[in-house]
Amino acid sequence: MLFAVSLNIASAQGQAGTTPAGITALVRKAEAAHIDMVVISDSAAGSEPSTSPFEATTLVAALATVTEKIGLVARASTIAHQPYNLARRFASLDMISHGRAGWNATLAQAAREAANFSRPDGFSADDFRRRSQEYLGIVLGLWQGWDADALLFDKSGGRFHDPEKMHLLDHKGEFFSVRGPLNVARSPQDRPVLVLAGLSEGDLDIAARNADVILLDERQAAENKARHGDIKRRVSACGREPGAVKVLTDVSLTAASLGGLADRLEEAFRSKGCDGFNIRLPAQLSVFDDFADRILPDLRRRGLFQEHYRGTTLRSHLGLTGGGNQ
Amino acid sequence: MTRQMKLGAFLWATGHHIAAWRHPKAHVRAGIDIDHYIQLARTAEAAKFDMIFCEDAAGLREANVGIASQTSRSIGFEPISLLSAIAVQTSRIGLVSTASTSYNEPYGLARTFLSLDHLSGGRAGWNLVTSASPIEAANFGATGLKPHADRYERAREFAEVVTGLWHGESFHGHDGQSFSVQDAIDLPRSPQGAPVMVQAGASDVGRELAARTADVVFTAAQTFEEAKTFYDDLKGRTATYGRQPDDIKIMPGVAPVVAETESEAREKFEELQALIPDDVGVALLSSYLSISDLWRHPIDGPLPDLPESEGMKSRQALVVEQSRRDGLSIRQLARHFAGARGHWRIVGTAAQVADELQARFEGGAADGFNVMPSYFPGELDAFATLVVPELQRRGLFRREYEGNTLRDHLGLKRPA
Repeated sequence: MLFAVSLNIASAQGQAGTTPAGITALVRKAEAAHIDMVVISDSAAGSEPSTSPFEATTLVAALATVTEKIGLVARASTIAHQPYNLARRFASLDMISHGRAGWNATLAQAAREAANFSRPDGFSADDFRRRSQEYLGIVLGLWQGWDADALLFDKSGGRFHDPEKMHLLDHKGEFFSVRGPLNVARSPQDRPVLVLAGLSEGDLDIAARNADVILLDERQAAENKARHGDIKRRVSACGREPGAVKVLTDVSLTAASLGGLADRLEEAFRSKGCDGFNIRLPAQLSVFDDFADRILPDLRRRGLFQEHYRGTTLRSHLGLTGGGNQ
Repeated sequence: MTRQMKLGAFLWATGHHIAAWRHPKAHVRAGIDIDHYIQLARTAEAAKFDMIFCEDAAGLREANVGIASQTSRSIGFEPISLLSAIAVQTSRIGLVSTASTSYNEPYGLARTFLSLDHLSGGRAGWNLVTSASPIEAANFGATGLKPHADRYERAREFAEVVTGLWHGESFHGHDGQSFSVQDAIDLPRSPQGAPVMVQAGASDVGRELAARTADVVFTAAQTFEEAKTFYDDLKGRTATYGRQPDDIKIMPGVAPVVAETESEAREKFEELQALIPDDVGVALLSSYLSISDLWRHPIDGPLPDLPESEGMKSRQALVVEQSRRDGLSIRQLARHFAGARGHWRIVGTAAQVADELQARFEGGAADGFNVMPSYFPGELDAFATLVVPELQRRGLFRREYEGNTLRDHLGLKRPA
């Protein structure tokens, strides 16, 4: 089973959320436990001040230099960034982390963001869905603008790259027009991992077409299983392998919920309720230590969780192949 | 203590020379190698530079793919993520990145730079630019370039919102011509009061914006007179905005080629110049002049008369003035500019380079310099090991950092 750990630094309590050293210690702990990825978001609910001084993408860049294996995923909003800028930021994070970066996009619109990004009226639900779909297509397209073998580095011949292996996007759509290409080279893992969350029923086809990982909120076991099956059917219907999209179900961690947790996770996984779990860290971060020290070794003994990372990139951890034509 | 000069290390791809990547000692994979950049930052920090500086463009530098493929500038790191990574691998040096007001929103930019400032313990700076490149515009759904004045009006409003957000409690929302922002920023106040504001625009409207808001100004000046005129003009404009002349540090770009002997330095420079393909040199010059058909004119003939451009006004004037003054052909001008991009070039020994820097610094034409090494890592190493000790011996540059933040290094007031 796959494991993500989600940390909203804006509402974390204790030192871990507020200093680079504290967050580094937490992420290294997750890395030592062979967690596949951490997902960092940075916005508090309402207009509460953040408990952390950091923004997620800049924090992930810093974490990339002090970790070696763990995947590093940052939440970033489609309202706060233009698609070209966002694609660049994450392509660069992927280069900095040697292929361990991912983008956590939400398809839910945050009113507060719109109000701070010169969109006081926001978008209608329909417009926002079409805009999100267009946005994802642009970012994925930009990430594939350079072939993996485009850079020649031929000093004596004077050929830095092969112009045939650099591709314009030339996107002209309803909300954006983006010529491309990106000015960041091809990702070491083909492209950053796309992690979608905040999905409503009407977003599932968009997610099935584009996502590498889908994060779902926690429901009753039967419902989890039905949703998982539904998503995999939609993935197949798009002409993708069902295994090309990993579905992780949220698990809220509290000191009280640790008892019997390994059994519950095993049951959910074996009944095909999901491909793994997204451990949502509680406000009190120390509970994660108990999870890593008690629950994960238990799952490992049962043969349900990896002893080692499978490779060096986030895609390899998740068992995903490359994102497209190289 | 006597006044000392400020130094920036301008890090850019394989080097500032257009043919840098072809040099046998240049690190050709610079644009995909984070460890290379971390090492450059540590070199600059060990030499007590005030800051490293990264340029930026949200698009390719050159539209002609044949030309672009002969340079190393089409790919590289996005600078804010790059500097965030460097922030936790260094401890003292300032970290300044360019970001455009044309294709960002003030709330997001203010928050991102503030985060970089916290990651680095108060060492961040933002170089405000407006985007003039049609290549960038095509990545942001724009159908045509906005006229120069519009870009600067947007930039002025952008800067006002960003500084308001950085100053915290006093921010009560903004509803203006280009932007609306409802909330104060949700991160704590900067460890240095506010990130440092840097600007580079040299046109009249650019100077007004700098006089109003900038802490540091980068500029391109070939001669002492140009540098001095600019320096006096900009410092003279600060009073209008209730600021002191010393509130702005003016740091012209300098492209040194330094070696143990003058003849070695000359050889080093000629070696680089010989690596520039003619079509690359002419294309680079064309883009600086904002004209597309320079290649139609005889390469050994003079520069043709140019129409007024909506692009880089001040830079264009500089190029034209130099070509007329020195009677340069297009090829000569292209090579000259390809090498230093219109910045001031010094080729010589450490003592000769230090003499030139000292003359401008003490002559009231500069508060410091933004050093543009021709290739990396060799030419940054050369400046750090040859020129910096010479400047220190003369008492012109620090031997140890005065404080921990970029504002400390630059001797800037902490904003209220």
